[in-house]
Amino acid sequence: MAIWMKVLLMSACTTALIACGNKTSKQTVKTATEQAKQETPHEKIAQNPLRNAYFGDLHIHTQNSYDAYLFSVRSTPDEAYEFAKGGKIKHPMGYDMQLHSGPLDFLAVADHAEYLGVLEAMNTPGTEYSKVSYAKDMNPGDRAGIFKAFGYFVESLLTGEIIPELSSTAAPRSAWQETIESAERHNNPGTFTTFIAYEFTSLPRVRNLHRNVIFANGNVPDLPYSALDSQNPEDLWHWLDAQRAKGNDALAIPHNANGSDGTMFERTMWNGKPIDQAYAKLRSRNEPLIEISQIKGQSETMPLLSPNDEFAGFELMTSYIGAAKQITKFEGGYARDALKRGIEIEQKTGTNPYNFGFISSSDGHTSAGPFEEDNYFAKVGILDGTPKRRGSVYPAKYKNWDEYYEDRENPPLSSTWGSAGLSGVWAESNTRQSLFAAMRRKETFGTTGPRIRVRMFGGYDLPEISLATDAGVSSAYANGVAMGGSLIRQAGKTPEFVVIASRDVKSAPLQRIQIIKGWVDAKGQSHEKIYDIACSDNGVIQSDSNRCEDNGASVNLNTCEFSKDKGDAELEARWKDPAFDHTQNAFYYVRVLENPSCRWSTWDAIRANVEPNPKLAKTIQERAYTSPIWLLANRDK
Amino acid sequence: MRIVREPLLQFLCIALILFTVNRLVNGPEKYSASQQITISSGQVEQISEQYRLLAGRAPGEQELRALVDDFIDEEIAYREAIALGLDTDDTIVRRRMRQKLEFLVRDQQSYNDPSDEELSIWLAAHATNYHQTERISFRHVLASHDKRGEHAQKDAHSFRQALEAGAEFEALGDTSMLPPSLSLSTQDNIASLFGDAFAKAVFAAQNNEWSAPIQSAYGYHLILITERIPSRPSTLNEIRETLKADWMAAKKQEARNKYLENLRQRYTVNVEWPAKHSSEQ
Repeated sequence: MAIWMKVLLMSACTTALIACGNKTSKQTVKTATEQAKQETPHEKIAQNPLRNAYFGDLHIHTQNSYDAYLFSVRSTPDEAYEFAKGGKIKHPMGYDMQLHSGPLDFLAVADHAEYLGVLEAMNTPGTEYSKVSYAKDMNPGDRAGIFKAFGYFVESLLTGEIIPELSSTAAPRSAWQETIESAERHNNPGTFTTFIAYEFTSLPRVRNLHRNVIFANGNVPDLPYSALDSQNPEDLWHWLDAQRAKGNDALAIPHNANGSDGTMFERTMWNGKPIDQAYAKLRSRNEPLIEISQIKGQSETMPLLSPNDEFAGFELMTSYIGAAKQITKFEGGYARDALKRGIEIEQKTGTNPYNFGFISSSDGHTSAGPFEEDNYFAKVGILDGTPKRRGSVYPAKYKNWDEYYEDRENPPLSSTWGSAGLSGVWAESNTRQSLFAAMRRKETFGTTGPRIRVRMFGGYDLPEISLATDAGVSSAYANGVAMGGSLIRQAGKTPEFVVIASRDVKSAPLQRIQIIKGWVDAKGQSHEKIYDIACSDNGVIQSDSNRCEDNGASVNLNTCEFSKDKGDAELEARWKDPAFDHTQNAFYYVRVLENPSCRWSTWDAIRANVEPNPKLAKTIQERAYTSPIWLLANRDK
Repeated sequence: MRIVREPLLQFLCIALILFTVNRLVNGPEKYSASQQITISSGQVEQISEQYRLLAGRAPGEQELRALVDDFIDEEIAYREAIALGLDTDDTIVRRRMRQKLEFLVRDQQSYNDPSDEELSIWLAAHATNYHQTERISFRHVLASHDKRGEHAQKDAHSFRQALEAGAEFEALGDTSMLPPSLSLSTQDNIASLFGDAFAKAVFAAQNNEWSAPIQSAYGYHLILITERIPSRPSTLNEIRETLKADWMAAKKQEARNKYLENLRQRYTVNVEWPAKHSSEQ
């Protein structure tokens, strides 16, 4: 077909979409643009004003990350993009990795900025790096060798002091250039979006303060600002401010708050003084989102912080990053607790440092994210690339798990990690500009892997609408705020929330939608409460517990088949807070739960024909978390 | 890039490789036996340039002297180590020499941009890799299982009767987050929203007539295909850049394989496998 015909066809489609508005605009735009991707200039890409849900991963590592290199990963950013686009790439142990659920809509390769590309250079004959005495240890190939090689970097990563003999910027410059060029090469507006990104790997005293820095577009600095420049995230934010002033817009996304030992969301600043307005503004300007779940567990909440949340005991990582040492301080390490701190601080100082939204990602280190429980290849290359190496199947020298645990107390670290999370973004089109704007306004959600789609709006006097129609969505945008937004508290008025969620057809059906509320009382003390607002199978919400009655969904642990007749494809609800108090600062976010399904470790065990590891959960309830909507005092008037 | 086709240059490159291989294979005794070390002005310039690349400035005179001195120490140590045979049983040294040789081959190969004729031949030979997949546009009417339970299938049948009797499709069925219509989508696009079995059934349906109920995880759907663009081969103009990149990558790989193969032909390889080859834990 001639180009002009395609363009004509495209504009005909676009016109039709706008004209038919009500019935045809949802989602259709996304696929229509795919047809004409090569011929259509960027500005011609169709926009859906009611927005589509796009799914992607903002956190993938390649061989340019020093640790991935040690895990024998030898795949490049190009290969990471190939995988995300649905292609097949090799795991370092030789087998193929490919998504079962089809391509992602976007990807950011976020390699560690510290020693970026340096290990490859150490292993390349003729470079200055290769002359370092321990360069020969940088291609270990086995467990002992990996830990030995890590030994050379540990001190530097914990202190932020650069290793003098590896301080040349030659390799990082070249790897950063590769990161940029690869992202530009694979960015295909309307079909597949790439972001230029890196990870700021601050780990003071093994407490995880890692952030991914995501650039808005192709305007990027010559080199990333790393934890070797400063471990203090405040310095990173000042640098981001300066970059923005130069036209290099970016945001930072903290991850694994669960491994921070309470230091990710503190009440104090780096210098130990209480958080002030300047800090709160600096932080929320640069960190509008956090990564709420990934392979190394979820950072929403945990049972000790939320004793009344019966779903909090899910994919917990309670140790320091990559270490057996146990976390002792959970406050300040989880999102729900931080949101509560945020509104407490807001009450005192007038500004909220923790008014962030949610995304999820993988943190995969093999250029690929293991999002699917039944298609799992773990995180750290040759360390956990087979079921035996990740503790889901016992090694052949044992006859059963009892014998295995006679030799060791705890399951291996990798076995306690979950499958990767996905970011959901509500945007007008699949382009950098549209997706980045959505991330800025926090119209985002995180899932623990499945492509669950969920929308939430809040407002006063919302008309009777259904979010299953374009008219309803349009009215919700016109009369309310979407997830990530704020409402001003008004005397005598109670806000309402409308929520809809749709299942991933390749995962389990939905079981329930919940709203999680946090608020501050007159004494400045914060509280939380969970309300189920929609139940599958026409279930009834019990008035004493605010929970759906049990829908009886189960999983056959011999086959991993789940109940076919339980759960819903779609759930929708309209909800008013029965305990609303217009004098209190509050936030509300949505959690959607699937019916139970097999965890990856159970799939591994079934395929190897052994009992699942008794120390691991056999089934999980996959979930999605929306960014919150806040209710705030009107301080401007 | 015309220059790489010059026979003289090709000859020089091959000579360089043979020279290197000869040095690797037949050993450097002659080289290390000599007690004479000459650092040519070219080498000094190279040392200086390496420093400049790394430090961002040229070395001062003192620095350059120190660098050259260090290079001399390295050269002496290297010759002594070779004389003692230290290179022969060191895995790292062996691995790096192999890498170096492979780099040499890789860097030596370089190609002109392929002509349209070459690309057409390539496209014809690999046509299946570059197929434009079939796309369809369709509408659907949903009888939701969530809302209608076991009646969903029966209700879908009655929707179909209504449609055949001339009812407007917009007035029928249940709303959902699914789009009521999709335009020009591949089977994969449809599968990711509706499921694999549904996508397959939709592609098998007839054009321009409402289908019998098709099941998905959402319930039963009646579908109407409004447009179908069959699968077809891509034309050169549509995918020239992709073809070019693939052609270059393949040529490089081919040259490298051929070179390594030729090398192997010069050796008789005999592996004495141990009785039982142990596998992974």
